[in-house]
Amino acid sequence: MIRWQLGLMLLAGTCWCLGAVARADNPNNVLPSVAERFASEDVSEVPSFQRHVVPLFGRLGCNGRACHGSFQGRGGFRLSLFGYDFQADYEALLDPSSTRVDREHPLESLILVKPTNADEHEGGLRYEKGSWQYHVFRRWIEAGAKFDPAKDVQKLVALEVTPSEIIFHKKGDKFSLRAVAVWEDGTREDVTPLCRFQSNDSQIAEIDENGQVTGGDPGDTHLVVFYDKAVVPVPIMRAVSESLARNYPNVPTPTKIDELVVAKLRKLGVVPSELCSDAEFLRRVSLDLTGTLPLAEEVEQFLADPSPDKRARKIDELLESPGYAAWWTTKLCDFTGNNETELVNVLPVRGAASQAWYDWIFQRVKDNVPYDELVAGIVTATSRAGNESYYEFCKELSDILRPGSNRSFAERPSMPFYWARRNFRQPPERAISFAYAFLGVRIECAQCHKHPFDQWSKHDFEEFAKFFGGVRLANQGAPGSRSDYAKIVEALGIKDGRVNNQNRNQILDALRDGKVIPFAEVYVTNRPVNANRRQRDAAPPARTATLLGGEVVDLNAIEDPRQALMNWLRSPDNPYFARAFVNRVWAHYFGVGIVEPPDDHSLANPPSNAALLDYLTQGFIRSGFDMKWVHREILNSRTYQLSWQPNETNQHDKRNFARAYLRRLPAEVAIDAIRMATASDSEAARMKRELDGRAIAMASPDPRQRNGASSYALTVFGRSTRESNCDCDRSMTPSLLQTIYLQNDSEVLALLDRRQSGWIDQITRQFQPNARTANGGRRRADEGADSSTTASGSQPSDVQVEELVRKAYLRTVSRLPTNDELKRAKEHLDACGSPIEGLADLLWALINTKEFIVNH
Amino acid sequence: MAIHRTCDGMRRRDFLKVGAIGGMGFTLATYLRMAKAGQVKPARAKSAIFIHLAGGPSHLDTFDMKPQAPDEYRGKFRPIDTNVPGIQISEHLPKLAKCVDKYVILRGVTHTLAAHQLGSQYVNTGTRPIASLEYPGYGAVVTKETWQPSDLPPFVAIPSNNYQTPGFLGVKYAPLNTGATPRAGQPFSVRGISLGNGLTVAEVERRHQLLRDLDVAFRGFESEDQLLEGLDEFSRQAYAIITSPRSRDAFDISKESPAFAKMFGETPFGVSCLLATRLIESGVRFVTLSYGGWDTHQDNFTRLKDRVLPPFDEGLAALFEGLHQKGLLESTVVFVTGEFGRTPKINNRSAEGGRDHYPRCMFMLLAGGGIRGGQVLGESDDKATAPRHEGFKPDDVAASFYHALGIDHTKEYHTDTGRPITIVRDGRVIRELFA
Repeated sequence: MIRWQLGLMLLAGTCWCLGAVARADNPNNVLPSVAERFASEDVSEVPSFQRHVVPLFGRLGCNGRACHGSFQGRGGFRLSLFGYDFQADYEALLDPSSTRVDREHPLESLILVKPTNADEHEGGLRYEKGSWQYHVFRRWIEAGAKFDPAKDVQKLVALEVTPSEIIFHKKGDKFSLRAVAVWEDGTREDVTPLCRFQSNDSQIAEIDENGQVTGGDPGDTHLVVFYDKAVVPVPIMRAVSESLARNYPNVPTPTKIDELVVAKLRKLGVVPSELCSDAEFLRRVSLDLTGTLPLAEEVEQFLADPSPDKRARKIDELLESPGYAAWWTTKLCDFTGNNETELVNVLPVRGAASQAWYDWIFQRVKDNVPYDELVAGIVTATSRAGNESYYEFCKELSDILRPGSNRSFAERPSMPFYWARRNFRQPPERAISFAYAFLGVRIECAQCHKHPFDQWSKHDFEEFAKFFGGVRLANQGAPGSRSDYAKIVEALGIKDGRVNNQNRNQILDALRDGKVIPFAEVYVTNRPVNANRRQRDAAPPARTATLLGGEVVDLNAIEDPRQALMNWLRSPDNPYFARAFVNRVWAHYFGVGIVEPPDDHSLANPPSNAALLDYLTQGFIRSGFDMKWVHREILNSRTYQLSWQPNETNQHDKRNFARAYLRRLPAEVAIDAIRMATASDSEAARMKRELDGRAIAMASPDPRQRNGASSYALTVFGRSTRESNCDCDRSMTPSLLQTIYLQNDSEVLALLDRRQSGWIDQITRQFQPNARTANGGRRRADEGADSSTTASGSQPSDVQVEELVRKAYLRTVSRLPTNDELKRAKEHLDACGSPIEGLADLLWALINTKEFIVNH
Repeated sequence: MAIHRTCDGMRRRDFLKVGAIGGMGFTLATYLRMAKAGQVKPARAKSAIFIHLAGGPSHLDTFDMKPQAPDEYRGKFRPIDTNVPGIQISEHLPKLAKCVDKYVILRGVTHTLAAHQLGSQYVNTGTRPIASLEYPGYGAVVTKETWQPSDLPPFVAIPSNNYQTPGFLGVKYAPLNTGATPRAGQPFSVRGISLGNGLTVAEVERRHQLLRDLDVAFRGFESEDQLLEGLDEFSRQAYAIITSPRSRDAFDISKESPAFAKMFGETPFGVSCLLATRLIESGVRFVTLSYGGWDTHQDNFTRLKDRVLPPFDEGLAALFEGLHQKGLLESTVVFVTGEFGRTPKINNRSAEGGRDHYPRCMFMLLAGGGIRGGQVLGESDDKATAPRHEGFKPDDVAASFYHALGIDHTKEYHTDTGRPITIVRDGRVIRELFA
């Protein structure tokens, strides 16, 4: 038997599991289950409220969302949703205005009468009179229906589930799960009849309410067992090809990632696809890593390069490109929620706060500052640096924000705007946002009830949220600086002593004129709220907060509670911080995380390949949180470089990385790709070199911001709205509007037709240098760079037409055309009035292929 | 016979629950009897128009007047009789007064969200907003729940409506924004739908032929992959929409007869109402308009009288009349609301005073789709400060709106994270609307 507390420790490192290692060393003396002990009417044992009564409510479905777990209750009776709020449940049961529990006449208690009588109970028959369930409730009531929250709530140190893994061979194979609870006091009890069970993919395995498993189709998933606070996943799989699983071919595994991926595939009898072609690799890695299409000549050079390490060198080259810094800054802005709409008025200059947020992260991604340091600059941020006075702070910021300034907010040691968003100012909202951004954990369920898929209780949430109360945003300077604020305002000649919408322009004029203007500031006050004067000298009341699944922190002992959070994040045994990041990076490269969805790390949602995720997590920590290590490690793996073309064994694989998964280009990348594919050679090279006007360099999804890129198109293609603490704020799904945009939007058509910087125009001028001049076009003399010296007014020769077709392919789908494609395209160009007219059609068609908009 | 469909008189869930328990008085036979007696009516509407009065219109100065209230509440406007005896509305809505028989005025609608954004989210979705999840607007739900012709966009916003978003349902249910407001008598085209940049249908067909021949990289694998399959489907639809005369015609209001178009007037709102009517007639399922200017903290009366009410009166009355003339009012539900009402007591912010945000008491309008016009439902107290009785919640109106469209508002969707969400969690259908 394998003890599942070990597995749990790896998955979550929760303290109640760690405890198990020390104590749960006595595998004997397991109490038989309540179903046996309470089978007979004359049972004398008294069940426990925590161990038996509340779990039984859960097992019978009483505290479900549709029944008494509903926030309105049902039939006047409300239980805490999914249990674990023992006090509330106890009070509801013992409510003196009802006889749900009748200690005087136990057998008349409604919890015995109603569920055993289908007619009286809207929820129907839940158990039979005289069943073990009946006797559990009955004996608890007869013994006085006792529960003392101070004494009677014990820690469950482990839930041991057997078998620990199931491999089955054919549809209809049957298994049963058994669960043993190990309590703090050392007692061990078979709790199988009190558990709830779920299958994460019922197509692969079904599980009934008694833990009986029935195998289904080939594939792998997890069964999940719930009891008390424990959530234990059990892997179950059926090989896709048994013969292959036994007789697996020799698959190259050049990197550790490949070893770990193939180890799992071997068990499943799934063979990975072949290596992708060089052209596919270049396009894929350029779009994924730098959000940028490769240039046509870059593709040609790469294809011509015979050296065996060219892929690794390309990855290194791309990691140094501005596209890398810009695109991964955009991703980090997604995760941290950089949203100008929520930052309105935080800085007097519109758009400046989200731009500062972007710039600050950009500089650090570019310099490859370790991830934990980058995050520390956000988590423990205050507006003022070190001992800066309010005036000095305002002077610095004025200098940075002044129009024409060559200074950047990136110089500041920390980036406080994360804490200034108006939708994240209350501690519970901040706790949710923090867990989402830095832990990849969704704790919002626990704000109101026991988390249905994780260990978190409402109490855990409340204790965690206490870390977030001390950060404030002061519009007129922190307390103690109000007079400095007033002085600055007075010096500007502002009448009513404060900045508001009416005098905003006056403030902006002053800024432009070189004056110091006042700013709102994020600061920390770690004093109890509303402490009144008389109590000031008395010892402060005990105040603590608790890290998620971690230790209790004395808030009185630290200046800034966020420092404790940050120390916890970067400590090597933090179960989430590094994992969340590497998993998100992985999810970006494969379209699916090792934990999927990537922002939902929970016990009931285990990784598809735990060893792989552990390897990346530990490696990331050991590298000193080096983000480029993660990128290199993944991109250099054969797994990343597999072809998208499936074979018979992996065609249905969507979670074990046996092939490259097709993904639509993200919004910003798609918009930039359309612009680059249609741009002249020199403009395309400029876009790759500089970030001006690039969608991947836009700070925030604020529709009012105009940055060259089309905000309509970005919206249609689903740029992250950065609103709701969910990686799903970014949409990767295709839509009709996207296709209409690509096929027929005037913006796209205009990009094809554009003068000066368009490719079609470049070719036109190359072959018909006088064409535009004759039409009154604005060809400038200094544009020779793009045009060759072909004779005036000539038509391209056959050879030249073929070359144009090749170039069109290289600049869109980043490969050379096949002979068939070349032939078909050439036919089209020949059939048109002029080859150049046909070339516009070809470019249009190529950006409308699936191959263009799908990263493959 | 589609017994399982949502029908008047019962929700699907009731039906199933009753079926499961059995013998409790509601059986198929009972249902059939009720249906025969006309107590259960199938949904009549298949399309809808939702008009958001952005800013929050004053209820006291429009559809919930209190001529007996003290001066500081009553305001400057007087009520006038309408074409339904006993119902009075503001003197500055003369055209709407002549067609009250076509719509229902809901008074004493009430909620508690006094900020524009939150209130707007509430009335555009029918569910009180929360921070962690964005609920889908009506248009997205209707798009998801109804069948649509392939060569038309199912859901159109004129020119856009920031609050009719698809929320967790995903961008594929987002409206097609016209982006611009049409102008009276002018040809109108929509972003991406009309052929642009001088292209002809022949050229587009030529390009598509080339595209079909060259889009071969994934050939043979399309049916293996939902993304590829979806892209192929969208490509087909886009081509149908772009080249079909139907969608271009649908947007081209210059093709309406001048006599018909005339009654909508020449204001942007009126012409938008004309376009909405035309789109519905063409087969579009959901049209949303946003009409602003109602945030009258200052100079409430002058602004309403001179700027906001006349186009509103002309355009909306024409919309009701136009739908009626084309025989579309029975199959089209029209829902008109702001995000809240305005404070009954007039403030002193300007010489003539203004009214501030007030969600506790507001009005909404509903028409068409089997809703019996010519009624006032609900009632506010003497000063229009609160509903006199229980009042309606935005949830109730939303539930009724969906009901008229044959959409079960208790149906559950699942978010990306698997969270079950009821379309309208707390609403109940207002039966009197359909009586």
